[in-house]
Amino acid sequence: MDQYFDSFEKWAERFQEELAEKPSWNLKACTIEPLRNMHITPTEVIITADLPFTEKDAVKVKAIDDNALEITAKMRRKIKSEELGITHRRGEFHSLHCQIRIPTPVDTSKMKTTFNKGMLEIRLPRRHRRGIPAE
Amino acid sequence: MNSQRFGLSEVKITERRNVPQNAIMILGFPDVGLVGVIAASHLVEELNLTEIAYMDSQLLPPLVVLHDGLPHSSVRIFANGNLLLAISETPIPAEIIYPIVDALIEWGKNKNVKMMVTLSGMPAQDRQEMQELKVFAAASTPEMLKTLEGKNVEILREGYMVGPQAIMLQHTSNSGRPALALMAQCFFNYPDPEAAAAVLKGLETITGVKVNVQRLLEKGEEIRLKVRDIMKRTQQELQRQKKGQEYDVPLYVT
Repeated sequence: MDQYFDSFEKWAERFQEELAEKPSWNLKACTIEPLRNMHITPTEVIITADLPFTEKDAVKVKAIDDNALEITAKMRRKIKSEELGITHRRGEFHSLHCQIRIPTPVDTSKMKTTFNKGMLEIRLPRRHRRGIPAE
Repeated sequence: MNSQRFGLSEVKITERRNVPQNAIMILGFPDVGLVGVIAASHLVEELNLTEIAYMDSQLLPPLVVLHDGLPHSSVRIFANGNLLLAISETPIPAEIIYPIVDALIEWGKNKNVKMMVTLSGMPAQDRQEMQELKVFAAASTPEMLKTLEGKNVEILREGYMVGPQAIMLQHTSNSGRPALALMAQCFFNYPDPEAAAAVLKGLETITGVKVNVQRLLEKGEEIRLKVRDIMKRTQQELQRQKKGQEYDVPLYVT
């Protein structure tokens, strides 16, 4: 059973990454995409994100619909494009922003978030049609 | 999977300047937590190392790194009087780990290196709660293992190692050459400057290579922002290497 979830999780991650290769930053919106990972267990979906330069109260997690989340975190200070290593465009970045598609049905209303040392962790209980599988 | 064995001659290391002999050779490649790359790049900056050689091979992906408008190979070797440092800016594709590592070992042998040390990470599930990060080590020969006693590192007695550092250890062990693999506890999928600082401290106690990690820790958040793209690519490559096997417990047949 665990192997099923493992391969499902890998498919979901690959799907996200191979969909469209584009830069991890957006100068028009002044946002940078943070690193994030999704881990699917039989009972919940755990999403972690690395949010440097942010404080706990600047992090906002919103459920876009039943299976997508949006993470926005305003950074403590503005980051210039040269600081990130981008030399062919000029601009500033104000916040970290990303959207995450969750491939399995979850209950977004019961979302629990913790923020510790720049790491955000979001736990979402899974919605099962046939009841929670026995461990 | 293509089972063609690539020849050593397909990887060339071209030297730009004089290479110091009898130096300690350090390897820092993209791995879990990007520990090796972050530590190596800090060494280059802090010790003011200069680029003295680079790797030239059609096995590497068609990629150059531009610095100040000029192209550089993605695998470069920096040095000062008594230190050689090989660093890669992109993850080494799983299929070409053997020829790349063999070429570096061969080159190190020609330069009479005192020992080879790889800097990498040991992924820890509960890294978030850890205050002090332990440094683990493995050695290529029993003599090298002895040099680790009394230093502040824990010898990795049993387990699996996956990646360039594993092949480096195996091939140096095969020819009886001195080598060490240092691994600091780190995040699997997120860049970990604190782990890089820990592994550099371990390097100092074992080899005497002194480096101040204060600036590394101060720039921690900036580093985490800058290396996001490298971390993402490394993640994909680690999956292809089947890095997850490092979590497994081996049946050690004696």
